Amino acid sequence: MDAAMQVSTRELKQKIIESLKLQDITPDQIDDEAPLFGTGLGLDSIDALELVVLLEKEYGIVIKDIEEGRPAFRSVKTLAEFIAAKRAA
Amino acid sequence: MSARFPVITGLGVIATPGVGVDTIWSAVSSGVSGLKPLSLFQSPRYGQIPVGEVQKDLLALGAPAKSSRSDKLGWLAARDAIEDAKIDLRNCGDRAGILLGTSVGGSFDSENFLTNLIKYGKMRARPTRFHECISTVNVIADGFGLYGPGMAIATACSSSALAIAQAAEMILSGEADVMLAGGADSLSRMTWGGFHSLLLVDSAGCRPFDAARSGMSLGEGAAILVLESEEFARQRGAKILARLTGWGMSCDAYHATAPHPQGAGATAAMQSALHRANLQPSEIDYVNAHGTGTRDNDLAEAIALKTLFHNRVPPFSSTKRVFGHALAASGAMEAVVCVEALRRQQLPPNPGFEKCDPTIGLVPVTESHHAQLTHVMSNSFGFGGNNGVLIFSQPEVFPQTRLPEKIEIAVNGTGAIVPGAVVEKEITAPLPQGRGLVYSCGTLDVSSLNPNQRRRLSRLQQMALITARQSHAPDASERVAVAIGTGLGCLEDAGAFIENLISKDEREPMPARFPNSVHNSPAGQVAIDQNARGMNCAPTVGEITFECALWQGISQLAANEADCALVGAADEVDKYLLSIGQRWRVWNDKIKPGEGAVVVNVVRAKTNSPAAKISALKIGRWRKPFEAAREADWIESAIDLKKVGLILSGAGGLSQIEVFYQSLAAELAKRRGDRLEHQTYKQFCGEFHAASAFGFSRAVALAREKTCGVLLVTLSANGGKAICLIEP
Repeated sequence: MDAAMQVSTRELKQKIIESLKLQDITPDQIDDEAPLFGTGLGLDSIDALELVVLLEKEYGIVIKDIEEGRPAFRSVKTLAEFIAAKRAA
Repeated sequence: MSARFPVITGLGVIATPGVGVDTIWSAVSSGVSGLKPLSLFQSPRYGQIPVGEVQKDLLALGAPAKSSRSDKLGWLAARDAIEDAKIDLRNCGDRAGILLGTSVGGSFDSENFLTNLIKYGKMRARPTRFHECISTVNVIADGFGLYGPGMAIATACSSSALAIAQAAEMILSGEADVMLAGGADSLSRMTWGGFHSLLLVDSAGCRPFDAARSGMSLGEGAAILVLESEEFARQRGAKILARLTGWGMSCDAYHATAPHPQGAGATAAMQSALHRANLQPSEIDYVNAHGTGTRDNDLAEAIALKTLFHNRVPPFSSTKRVFGHALAASGAMEAVVCVEALRRQQLPPNPGFEKCDPTIGLVPVTESHHAQLTHVMSNSFGFGGNNGVLIFSQPEVFPQTRLPEKIEIAVNGTGAIVPGAVVEKEITAPLPQGRGLVYSCGTLDVSSLNPNQRRRLSRLQQMALITARQSHAPDASERVAVAIGTGLGCLEDAGAFIENLISKDEREPMPARFPNSVHNSPAGQVAIDQNARGMNCAPTVGEITFECALWQGISQLAANEADCALVGAADEVDKYLLSIGQRWRVWNDKIKPGEGAVVVNVVRAKTNSPAAKISALKIGRWRKPFEAAREADWIESAIDLKKVGLILSGAGGLSQIEVFYQSLAAELAKRRGDRLEHQTYKQFCGEFHAASAFGFSRAVALAREKTCGVLLVTLSANGGKAICLIEP
């Protein structure tokens, strides 16, 4: 993958923490491959919608159907890959 | 007692297909979708998506000009229902009341105020006069002369089902002979932008239960039923259209927006309604499903239907594609559909359904056709996992509805967050610059809340959670009902959500804030925290909100639907409330806005229990012009003044009603014959809708301290009144 297309996972984690107002968590404490939903960070369907807004606001990516975002929201890594792929497209 | 069974004698309805029962039925039975692109307001992002809007010319049909869009819709439905019932309300005195579900209230009109302010810097506060959810009740009660109990319930999409259920409870328990019951909600930018932010809107229009369904469609309108006791209806020779034989309310206690995936709460509400009606599942001939068209609702509802009816699910359909989802009005519209289905012995179809979803495995009614219908069920489910189910039956059926018991009520615990001090609050741009003095609760100590409750909940919800925990320790063996009301709801979150919508033209919405904008969001969060799966209600009734919550909780205890009820009220101050009040010169040296939350845990009284007892509670509307003697008669009809040692009132607040409080206290003292002390509480907490909850907690303390009966008297500027007698 082109380096310019890559998304810094650290930066992404910071943005997730801010947009979801996660309490007492630093980017270092979030594993790139740990599940975001259910277990892991314990996020829910409303957090998924906040991530949709984050994608639009920060990366200009519009998601109209939550099913479209579901595979991307699995972990920070999959989200970064999704953003990179959308930018490349 | 059996003569008190509730019957339906009149219907009124207005929705996107038009006005009147016949017009609505012809749209329902032909399965025609009334959905069209939005024209009510500019929607830069979603303008082409179909919606169930009420045609402009219909609103001009005589509704009072000084009212919100929701009020006009409600008024038109009320007028038709009263005409249909051929009832002369002037003969009903204070035996006729009104109970409506309203969730959006006057938000559409208030948004015009915010748009003017945000986009053009103009402060035009007039449209916010009808902002409160109780406004529609006030407009109708004043317009048609209703002096019995008046309440609004705001539990999002289940509001009017709960309103109709509780109106039935009022009739059955003898609080009223006639109740207008139903709901009204208009479209608004807030709900439009809100449901879009949750990605819950189907751009092709809703397709309930269809394999390809991808969301709901919004709608608006109003529907009102005239409910009467059978005895009253027969005495006046009224035509009985149908009976309301069962009603059930429950809470998923699961999530703010998502339904319980197995439909547990929905099943419980249906079971409760059947229990109330004393019917078996096999006796239900048709179910009007909630069926919004979202993936999750329809699946969970289908599972609930299969759980309850096993492999014999009766014919069912969702009529949401005809009307759009009219939120708080939808349960009432579907009640009208059910009554008409019974009268015409016709099954309504489910427009939008084409292909069976294998995960659902059920096929709804696809074509309208004749069927033998004796008992039909209507489901309504809302945010906060809030469920309301109604059962309507043929007039010829002899009802087996279970009756409430006469019980004594005790206060088993109290939690309160009340203002500690007057603080100065800055009013920020774009409002007129200035400062306001507020009776504030200060910074909340949220250390006991979990991280998700800390990050996502509004201040109002947090106050409700903390006070509920103070009043009650969860016990898995207990059936717990919740009734926590609010006059204005989570003002900060709702304000921020709409402000963002308007200023950014619907881009970058705030999906986490939207669920907090519904008035039942504090009650819903308390249910999750306390695992309270009984009725979950949020009355919104101006200054008497707390007393209405208390009534709702007690009625669940009397119906033996709960072992304990957490009842309360909460309100918060925001910059808009502060500045609009300043504009209207409400605030002065004496009267400052306040905020706070109180939750009380009430139970059936045990003999020899040291707990304070609630020995009387009565809700009504005062007549204009205010006459102390008439109101004192009303109070004496409910209580023996000899039991009262002290009057505690909401005097010392709003100047419009100050003189009424003083004259009423004087009249009661005169009748009592000797010294009757009158105390007030607003000098400690300021002026806010939930203040009488603080008054109640004070009344309990005073009753114990002085070992005498304390009469809590509350008047609302817009017509509501309530009395509550607390004895040590």
